[in-house]
Amino acid sequence: MLRPTSVSELSQIQAALRRVARRRRRGRAWHGFWRGGLLGASVWGLSLALFKLMPIPTVVLWWTGALGIACAVIGFIVGGWRRPELAETARWVDVQLRLRERLSTALELAANADAGSWRDLVLQDALGQVAKIESKKLVPVRFPKVARWALGVLVVAVGLGFIPEYRSSAHQRRQADTKVIQEAGARMLELTKQELAQHPPVLDSTRKSLEALTELGTKLERVSLTRGEALKEVASATSRLQESLSGLGKNPALQKMTSAARSGRPAEDLQKRIEALQKQLAAQAEDPEALEDLQKQLEQIQQLAQSYAQQTGASAAAARQQLSNALNAFSQSALQAGLSLPQLDDAIAALAAANPDQFLKDITAALTDLDKLRALKDKLESLQAQAEKLGRDLAEQLQQGQVEAAADTLEKLAEKLQAANLSPEEMRAMLEELTKAQSPAGEYGDQIADLLKQAMEQMQQGDQGKGAQSLAAAAQELKDLLQQLGDAQSLLAGLDNLDHASQSISMGLGWGQCQSRGMSFNWFADAGGKGAGSSSTESGLADRPPEALAGDFEPTKIKGQISPGAPMPSITLKGVSIKGQSRVQYEEAATAAQTEAQAALSQEKIPRAYRNAVRDYFDDLKQ
Amino acid sequence: MSTESQIQSFRTTYAALRGEIAKVIVGHDEIVAHTLIALFAGGHVLLEGVPGLGKTLLIRTLSEVLDLGFNRIQFTPDLMPADILGTNLVMESDSGRREFQFQRGPIFAHLILADEINRATPKTQSAMLEAMQEKQVTAGGELRKLSEPFFVMATQNPIDQEGTYPLPEAQLDRFFFKILVGYPSAADLNEVINRTTAGARAEVNKVLTRENLLKLMKLVREVPVASHVKDYAVRLVLATHPKTDTAASIANQYLRFGSSPRGAQTLILAGKVRALTQGRFNVSFEDIQTAALSALRHRLIPNFEAEAEGITTDHVIAQILRDVPVTAEAVNA
Repeated sequence: MLRPTSVSELSQIQAALRRVARRRRRGRAWHGFWRGGLLGASVWGLSLALFKLMPIPTVVLWWTGALGIACAVIGFIVGGWRRPELAETARWVDVQLRLRERLSTALELAANADAGSWRDLVLQDALGQVAKIESKKLVPVRFPKVARWALGVLVVAVGLGFIPEYRSSAHQRRQADTKVIQEAGARMLELTKQELAQHPPVLDSTRKSLEALTELGTKLERVSLTRGEALKEVASATSRLQESLSGLGKNPALQKMTSAARSGRPAEDLQKRIEALQKQLAAQAEDPEALEDLQKQLEQIQQLAQSYAQQTGASAAAARQQLSNALNAFSQSALQAGLSLPQLDDAIAALAAANPDQFLKDITAALTDLDKLRALKDKLESLQAQAEKLGRDLAEQLQQGQVEAAADTLEKLAEKLQAANLSPEEMRAMLEELTKAQSPAGEYGDQIADLLKQAMEQMQQGDQGKGAQSLAAAAQELKDLLQQLGDAQSLLAGLDNLDHASQSISMGLGWGQCQSRGMSFNWFADAGGKGAGSSSTESGLADRPPEALAGDFEPTKIKGQISPGAPMPSITLKGVSIKGQSRVQYEEAATAAQTEAQAALSQEKIPRAYRNAVRDYFDDLKQ
Repeated sequence: MSTESQIQSFRTTYAALRGEIAKVIVGHDEIVAHTLIALFAGGHVLLEGVPGLGKTLLIRTLSEVLDLGFNRIQFTPDLMPADILGTNLVMESDSGRREFQFQRGPIFAHLILADEINRATPKTQSAMLEAMQEKQVTAGGELRKLSEPFFVMATQNPIDQEGTYPLPEAQLDRFFFKILVGYPSAADLNEVINRTTAGARAEVNKVLTRENLLKLMKLVREVPVASHVKDYAVRLVLATHPKTDTAASIANQYLRFGSSPRGAQTLILAGKVRALTQGRFNVSFEDIQTAALSALRHRLIPNFEAEAEGITTDHVIAQILRDVPVTAEAVNA
């Protein structure tokens, strides 16, 4: 049993030790925080350093940053987790204050019932030392050495953040290429899907070709390919599509239809547009023929108004009177032509208010409206001229490649033949029409010509029903041809996309930065092909002799900085104009372009007339 | 008598002893302190040093201040065990009858000065083994108890001196402390000259009787030792055991054998006495560390490598003291 005084002594010693233990626990947590922080800061700093040197994804920095914070928190928790025992604290205090193990022995002895009088002596002795314990001095709150290291590492890491990261130019180029390839793939996929949805192909081969294109788009978008691989894939898809297209191109009927399609709009479409324009024009002017006279009158009024604006005093009043008269005359004419020009009323009001500026503005607005009406009229006339060119009978329609119209005509003839008993004159007229159409029908294949011939024979034999069937079959044949033309157009659209993708990938530009060279309706013209800077609308270049073009291609030397990051020399070219920062070495770009040009030359993509010029151009660039 | 007054008495006695001895012995404070520690702990002391450094004088002075029976044995190469222990002699009684009678040797005293112990042969040296450990002797076929307290204070010249025989390990282990006596400092030497070349020799008084000494020896054993302090002493001793898990690296390198358990006992007992001499009621790590050299140096046996490189056991112990942490908390602190 402890004496009461010993109990009191022991509790005083324990209380002092508890205070120290609490502070030590807090101190350990604080220390643990900084140790964890040092570890975290080191990991983060290391990852930042690696990020600056190596191609590591940015997300790694975020993760290591989070890990660093977690380390500090874990360090704090681990440090402060364990509650120090009193005996342990007593031993620690003994060592720290050089108390010669008085406190630890006293605590141990207090629990020993056999210690007897020695226990009281030891407790008393220990209590004498407790006064020396100042927990705040013994365990001061301060930044441990490790905190200085942690902060140092953090400062270094933050400093590292200001250093521009090193990335190999090859890596950066690869990244840019990947981005461009993925974008090209995505756009190609999207456009091909649209094409498939809007114009479902009739032919199996076309469908397969377009499906192969969607697969290629998916591959470019999802699989990481190098620029060379992607270009190879695109080139291979292009050659496959070209094969399909050339298969279709062998059909002379399609060639005929294509040239007809290039020369104008379809008959139905034309008629619809003419009707719409007529309606629009009639709503604003009952007599469109009077528009020209009205415009001349209004131009004169405008000139008068300009002189009126510069005059003052009595001459201004006279000019105003003259203007008023002219306006009244113009208003009468416009009324007669059924033209509604609300600006005229405003102009008259402005004149009455002696506001020449407003008057001029209103007159100019009225003039613009008149201009628009005149443009409408011109367009209408142009369409009407095109409509006049449409074939009047089957022979002309077939001759002019107006397949849709021809098919319609054939269907109408078949219906006529089927429906009523035709008079001999009508029958003769029909036979005459078919006879005339016999020869142009041969251009669309033997089958149509045969069907027409068959129909004529059947009609001559009096078998109108079978004749009508033959005519309907011929119409169907023409419709099939039309659908094949649609397939060809889909393939052309696919080729156009491939060409766009190829440009985008080879030049390292985004999809939107590249311009389509336009391939529509040029697919059959293998001999001519497309050349550098030429577009589909340019025709006949291929036929021009090389010497005729030599003057246009005088070698030009371009001076400028040719290092990556430096401004790119801006030159005027016929075609795509690119401005901005160069992203690859000049030599690499020139070599790549030359390789592509060589490929284009060998595949006869460049028109013959341009070939020498292209070779010379790249030779000069190399030099 | 309460514990507190006994402790007070211990301190007074110790101070008186130091005072009396200091009248004769100049300097050598640590040697005197260690000798007295061994005395209160009930252990034997081996003093080693070249001749003329005051080893014998110290022990003779100690015998003078203690009111105990004292014998001096001068060990020589021709000294026989019987010369130490005693022997049966044929004696004629008053009635004229001749009979064997045991003639006690010089070992039968409380305080024995075994001067130059390493000059005797190992056989003679070993004669003291039983007396030192069991405090009894077997002579003439009879077991004879030695009177308590029994202390052997031996002196020896360094073992590489001519005409000496190294003490056997078993006997060395029975010495509580082995104290090395070094050369005095200039100031001490001056004082020695002053005291020994002018005037009369200082007279010392007896300050401690046998009974009081026995009481104080009993008190020493009651001093409490905390478990972590005991653990430290144990870890120190274990660290001297080469080729074991607990061995210090220097022990593995330079020791053939480590300390016996007597080493740990010595550390604790010496610590207890030192605590009392310093007015404390408990043993501290420092008490253990202070006693370590004297308690362990003769209990460690160096290997050939140590001897070749001139590494002494003192070097090894000093390194072990540096290597072995007092407590885990102290290490963290």
